[in-house]
Amino acid sequence: MLHIFRRLFVVLLLVVIGAHNAFGSEAANNEDENQVDILGEVQNHYVWSFAPFGELELPRILLYKGHLYFYSSTEEAAESDVFTLNGHDLVPADGGHVTLDLSISTHLIFFWLSALITFLIFIPLARRYKEGIGKETEPKGIFHNLFEVFFVFIRDDVAKANIGEKHYRKFVPYLATAFFLITFMNLMGLIPWGTAATADVSVTASLALLTFVFTQWNASKDHWKEVFWFPGVPTWVRFILMPIEFVGLFTKPFALAIRLFANMLSGEILIFSIIGMIFLFGNMFGPLAGYGSSVIWIAFTVFIFVIKAFVSLLQAYIFVMLSALFIGMAMEEHEHAVEHAS
Amino acid sequence: MEFAYLAAGLGAGLSAIGAGIGIGLIGKGAMEGSARQPEASNDIRTSMIISAALIEGIALFGEAVCAILAFK
Repeated sequence: MLHIFRRLFVVLLLVVIGAHNAFGSEAANNEDENQVDILGEVQNHYVWSFAPFGELELPRILLYKGHLYFYSSTEEAAESDVFTLNGHDLVPADGGHVTLDLSISTHLIFFWLSALITFLIFIPLARRYKEGIGKETEPKGIFHNLFEVFFVFIRDDVAKANIGEKHYRKFVPYLATAFFLITFMNLMGLIPWGTAATADVSVTASLALLTFVFTQWNASKDHWKEVFWFPGVPTWVRFILMPIEFVGLFTKPFALAIRLFANMLSGEILIFSIIGMIFLFGNMFGPLAGYGSSVIWIAFTVFIFVIKAFVSLLQAYIFVMLSALFIGMAMEEHEHAVEHAS
Repeated sequence: MEFAYLAAGLGAGLSAIGAGIGIGLIGKGAMEGSARQPEASNDIRTSMIISAALIEGIALFGEAVCAILAFK
């Protein structure tokens, strides 16, 4: 099993090396160099910046009119006669729309890295459990002990507490994987040159979609009955409740996606904004105020980073907790529902 | 068009106020509950986080609408 991941890693390395003229390319000079576009900084990029050591152009893969185009960088794609640059976006030269954008972006790279770390940690661990270490005997080593704490927590306090004794075993793998994947993605935002892939709404939306599918797939009869024909209320109320309950099916995973996304994105914007206060003070009250107050703002930033490290774990926990809760709510079978109706 | 920005700013603030009041009330309830019954504080903490997250979700709907207004 591991050799597949070794090969994937080699492919990833080849992609990175294949992106030629990567280092030392000139950064695009804007007309107003002093302005920083914060929302532009925190969004998905096709250039992996290692400021001040240079940057890495990432390959663009685009499907347009049934034909797949590969380019080693955005510039190369813009120089070709099929695509042109419109601001920062790559658009087809003849004014159409790109069917599918499969380009490697920074968020995708960090998603892969997190997935790789998750695999590299948990497949060896799963092997150890299969051999019986930790199952029949005590877990051995710091590494094993550390992650067993999280495993047991997810299994007992998240899955068993919310889904119930009867069905919880089936969902532990998904919940544990989601927890560790989200945690690693969030923590990637704290390392230098890293970004949190969860600050991208498409990543969190796909995770929430998985939860939605798991929830509805395993939903009990009572769950669907509550959605379309709410028990125990007069008939006219049922017609009012039907659309509300139906929309409620979709708002739950939607809120799940937006919550994780907004929390991670706001953390990044907050750090940019607080660092920006130094320059704001410098512009308003002279350079001395800028230098003087920078101590306060840097201290604030450090504080926000500590909060972010905590929020990374908390948001991952909330995500799996609510996933488990939704699954548990949908799977619940009401023995007393009939009594209510009568 | 400028009013869209004003509406976005006001709306973001109002939804933050709503979420703040809601989560504050939950925190108050949870604190009182676990002060009266310290042995139940683990259960109370779990349900506090769940209800805070659900309230936050509704506030985030508001924030999402404001973001759409601001970036359009």
